Amino acid sequence: MDSITKIYPPDTIALDDVDLVVEEGEIHSIIGENGAGKSTLMKVLYGMTPPSGGEISFRGRRTRFSTPREAVAAGIGMVHQEFMLIPSYTVYENVILGAESVGRFGTLRHDDAKPKVQELVDTYGLNIDIDSRISDLSVGAQQKVEILKLLYRDVDVLIMDEPTAALTPQEAGELFTRLKSLNEAGKTIIFISHKLDEVLELSDRITVMRKGRRVTTVDNRGLDKAELARAMVGRDVVFSIKKTPASPEEVVFEARSLGYIDANGATRLKDVSFDVRRGEIVGIAGVEGNGQYELVQLVTGLLPAQSGRVFIGGHDVTDEDVMQRRKLMCYVPQDRKVSGSAQSMSLVDNAIMTHHRLNPEIEDRWKALLSSGRCRAFASRLVEDFGVLAPQLDAPISSLSGGNQQKVVVGREFMLDTDFILLDQPTRGLDVGSIEYVQQEVVRRRDAGAGCLLISADLDELFSLSDRILVMARGRIVAELRPEATTREEIGEYMLGAKEAQKAWRAGKEVGR
Amino acid sequence: MKKQLLPAIIGIVVALLAGLIILWAQGYPPLQSYAALFSYSLFSRFAFFSTLDKATPLILTGLSAAVGFGSNCVNLGQPGQFLIGAMAVTAFGIAVDLPAAIMIPLSILVALAAGACWSGIAAGLRRRFNMDEFITTLMLNFIADYFTLYLISGPMLDTKMYSPLTPMTNSGAWLPIWNGFGSAFLVAVAAFAVVSVLWNRSKIGYEWRAMGQNPIFSRTGGCRNDAAYVWAMLLSGALAGLAGGLMIMGGMQHRFVKGIGANYAWDGVMIAIVANNNILATGLYALFFSVLQTGAMGMELETSVPSEFSLVLQAIVVLFVVASRESTRMLMNNIAAEMRMKRARGRDKGMGDGRRASNG
Repeated sequence: MDSITKIYPPDTIALDDVDLVVEEGEIHSIIGENGAGKSTLMKVLYGMTPPSGGEISFRGRRTRFSTPREAVAAGIGMVHQEFMLIPSYTVYENVILGAESVGRFGTLRHDDAKPKVQELVDTYGLNIDIDSRISDLSVGAQQKVEILKLLYRDVDVLIMDEPTAALTPQEAGELFTRLKSLNEAGKTIIFISHKLDEVLELSDRITVMRKGRRVTTVDNRGLDKAELARAMVGRDVVFSIKKTPASPEEVVFEARSLGYIDANGATRLKDVSFDVRRGEIVGIAGVEGNGQYELVQLVTGLLPAQSGRVFIGGHDVTDEDVMQRRKLMCYVPQDRKVSGSAQSMSLVDNAIMTHHRLNPEIEDRWKALLSSGRCRAFASRLVEDFGVLAPQLDAPISSLSGGNQQKVVVGREFMLDTDFILLDQPTRGLDVGSIEYVQQEVVRRRDAGAGCLLISADLDELFSLSDRILVMARGRIVAELRPEATTREEIGEYMLGAKEAQKAWRAGKEVGR
Repeated sequence: MKKQLLPAIIGIVVALLAGLIILWAQGYPPLQSYAALFSYSLFSRFAFFSTLDKATPLILTGLSAAVGFGSNCVNLGQPGQFLIGAMAVTAFGIAVDLPAAIMIPLSILVALAAGACWSGIAAGLRRRFNMDEFITTLMLNFIADYFTLYLISGPMLDTKMYSPLTPMTNSGAWLPIWNGFGSAFLVAVAAFAVVSVLWNRSKIGYEWRAMGQNPIFSRTGGCRNDAAYVWAMLLSGALAGLAGGLMIMGGMQHRFVKGIGANYAWDGVMIAIVANNNILATGLYALFFSVLQTGAMGMELETSVPSEFSLVLQAIVVLFVVASRESTRMLMNNIAAEMRMKRARGRDKGMGDGRRASNG
């Protein structure tokens, strides 16, 4: 790829004159912060978005794919961050979708390609049942299906866009082994990530991108992590957040025997009790879908409680609604696009959510009205205090990069200035620089006396932030561990429920509905 | 704002040009017809005042739809709310006889309340039985239609007349007409001012807008979506009801006649869609459409172009504005991107780097 430039209208320069050379048969990683242009570069290569300038050559020939289908036909395939699978179809059906063998009159020859698909599964040791439904598969297995889809289409170049984002450490390890064996079988792999350790472990060569430009491309030999991080962020990065031991004070949050049974009658939470004290960060580890979602919903008041009680700052808030609870707690939701913001609204309108009812600072003299001047002043204070890079306060928040959007969300919540902070995957999908920022901010809050409850799928994050780690599995808390006295592997075992059988951990008696 | 205005202007200009071609192709004198269209809607006192008269219900039904759609409530019950508002004011004006200073404000309140009740039924059904307001408001239109028809042909029929209509209301409920200027327009302007402050500046208005853009976001942020929904429905209904009430209070008729709703309610829905639920734009489009509708009659008189031609023009405006909203924005953005590329290239040339790609 030569001199690729991409400008998203009207004036966002996503790629500025980027050259990239990927050799056949190598594992080439592209790292950079969010918004550095990694994904855009791959989208240009993959024909998902046309470049504004520059040339692409593939195997010595100038090409330009105008659709992903053309790219796949030429031998380049991409596994996206979000999987593109049909949950109700089987693995096999998903794999052949769009490339089905069709009989006369367009009827589907259903089982024609089964031997070929099965053969691929065997050859590459993917170890999945091709007749199982996607909805029954774990995230890691779904990713295998995505890879299988591309193998079925005979691609030689695999682009993996942040593939480890949703995986457990065990699954990620497995993925790496698989990618290496694919590589040995002759496939070229382009691996997009912002996690330095992964990139160092896996790749032959590494390209670092920053702010739409290629900073450097280096062979992966004797590379220093700190140096790479500096190239990526443009300054020195603190790897482990500096943090003094916690000095927990009085209890600021308490969950007492929380239980939840969903509309299908499945028990999502069972007898969950724990507390959070001022001045400490309590982490909750667990494979996603093991009750964290329900726990968060019950704590914030988005779901009505079925059994058990919730106390914040000594008040029983079980029967109070979301806004009443917000006077006592702030909440960084896990998906900034779905629940953390309204993408089409301006930065100002996104910044004043919740504050519009609770913060007299942005009110007009007439209490039912908001003062637009003060709302703007409030938003620009947020932008300044939390280092948000925003071109205009009135532009839709969608014009900001993901990291900056998250800073707006985090800033908005922290400006509520409450003693209890609920963080649900606060750094998911963020780049190193933004993660560092958000984490430091959380520690700062803790040191200022706030109690934090951190739910995260990222064990690194849990280890570097938490003072205590609770592990959730199948709707229950199965372990309470101290990060300095445990290991990733031990937590991983609890998460998968393996350890539970050996060492049953019971908090109390079962509580019915 | 400037960015929003441009597609509107382009849409209108293109629509007028397209209308020109249609007129010409049909053998009418195009320029003369347009001249008549505007002179009979704008360029005389009487013409201008009748345009404002026509705009009065359109502004209110437009606001009603904009408030509803903008907060994610699909209130399509404007026709019913309009009729109920009109009927309530008629009944009130017949039954009660007080001086104008009391009667006029009370009638306005009656109209607002009646419209709000009618949309409130739909809101209640949604809250209680989770019935979609999209369906219930539409169904309530039929009920309102036949219910009012029953009243004017039975219990409230003016026996002195030979067609289904009610007696006139007491004169206290009549809005004054000054030299041809109907003061009902002022009521609409006042309603517009109140709604635009509510929508753009108030706390509940913020919650409506947030709910309209992303209800999960507003709920997560602690907004009481259920309450906001009900209030938005009530306001939406009240505005449509007021539009109906003013039809009785303003003008010369002062009685409920069959077909009084005409097409005002659906025009309002159309206006809100064209205005993209923006309050100011809703007001402006209401004025513009009433210019077309008023002028079309004059055009028919002068150049014998059928007045239905205004419908054609309206339809083209709707199509072009709605279609060009996205495409104009994209076009503008692409031009901006192109400029940016050129500037970047110029900068590189200055640095003596001739290696760049030459096409953008």
